[in-house]
Amino acid sequence: MNFKWWPIRRFVQLSAVVLIASPLMGLNIFRGNLAGGELFGFSLIDPLAFLQATVASRIFVAPFLGAALVVAAFYFLLGGRTFCAWVCPVGLITELNDRLRRSLATGERRLPLSASRWSLVVVIVVSFLAGVPLFEIISPIGMTTRALMFRDWLTLLMLVSICAVEVAIARRVWCRSLCPLGGFYSLLGRFSPLRIHFSEQLCTHCGECTRICPHEEVLLPSLDHDCSHIYSGDCTRCCDCIDICPTKALSVHVIYK
Amino acid sequence: MPQTGVTRRRFLKDGVLMPLALALAGGSISALFLRSADARGFYLRPPGAVEEGRFLGACIKCGKCAQACPYNSIRMAGADAGIGIGTPHIIARQEPCRLCPDIPCAKVCPSGALDAKLENVEKIRMGTAVIVDRENCLSLRGLRCEVCYRQCPLIDKAITIEARHNPRTGVHSIMEPVVHRDKCVGCGICENACVRDKPVIVVMKSPPLQKDYYEF
Repeated sequence: MNFKWWPIRRFVQLSAVVLIASPLMGLNIFRGNLAGGELFGFSLIDPLAFLQATVASRIFVAPFLGAALVVAAFYFLLGGRTFCAWVCPVGLITELNDRLRRSLATGERRLPLSASRWSLVVVIVVSFLAGVPLFEIISPIGMTTRALMFRDWLTLLMLVSICAVEVAIARRVWCRSLCPLGGFYSLLGRFSPLRIHFSEQLCTHCGECTRICPHEEVLLPSLDHDCSHIYSGDCTRCCDCIDICPTKALSVHVIYK
Repeated sequence: MPQTGVTRRRFLKDGVLMPLALALAGGSISALFLRSADARGFYLRPPGAVEEGRFLGACIKCGKCAQACPYNSIRMAGADAGIGIGTPHIIARQEPCRLCPDIPCAKVCPSGALDAKLENVEKIRMGTAVIVDRENCLSLRGLRCEVCYRQCPLIDKAITIEARHNPRTGVHSIMEPVVHRDKCVGCGICENACVRDKPVIVVMKSPPLQKDYYEF
């Protein structure tokens, strides 16, 4: 039995897109978008949207915090940046866009992963000082989801510009290094119990995993120093490395302690 | 021929593709954001919206209010709204707020940008209707139009008719629609109903309800 993660992941990613577009189809399952939504009447809030709106407006709404905490706890248990690889529609587009980049063999530049944490700091500080939620204004996630919800296709230009830069200049630069939401979830992922396990006995150092991984830096401590788990919060738990590993040296693991 | 280490392939990738991509990226974002904004500088927000400055801070642009509106009055602003991109607003001339008694849009707002506890539609303050073009108002010209008054959901409270002598003819009356700012909720139904091609009554930012006169 040759189990692969990617069909399940692609199904979850597409389900998120369908859910967001579902009110247009007359379905009453999901309302809103990934910043704030309602699934079967249960309110869900992007924790970063909560942080920005609260520091920007100085309005505190208790159920708003509650819904943000539920989502934060969910992604903490499932690995933090799991959001990026499994849910985010921008992640889906840039992932497919990266295949185009690979076939052209262009845009090999990389920015460090830690830049997304700095981006997070800038967003929170500017939101507080300027009184507007900075990331929600420029967020390609918000623009893409609203395009789906209200057929406002012009805002997809933001996605076009990200794809252009990622194809020609720096690979997956938005998701890897610029998106503050990725930076936020990487902080949760750093302490998450759900991890990719690495078995040094099975590894042949063929390097397939580092070629497929969008954030290949996260694999290096394991490959170079035989760490038993991928510890970096920047691991998106996309499981592409597990799918590609010819010797099954990588697996999903839950750490209890 | 000297060897520079720059191959044709490398030159095409770095020298042509990169500027092209940057131009496409810059062009897309400019096309998105650099468009002329509403000259009035006022956005009619959904019922229960807090003061505009705080509203822009609190709105997370989730679109639930627009999805909850049964009349599709609430639209999500495009990038021509600048930092207001993705915020909900109402274009009264297209579809005004119909003042649903249960205020479904404000109920679903998670962030407090719209006051979810709002119960009474008469407490809504989205703006205030103002007759901005007195020369073209049919009622003020002496005709019996009064469509704004008839259509007003708060008829005889927010808009009343005050009759006065018509000095132009000397024998008729002018039935003037008068908006009372302490009662007007700013729903925009009058602006929507105005029979002129360009509405002579439009909803504008509410003046602060603070006394600016001395009461004897």
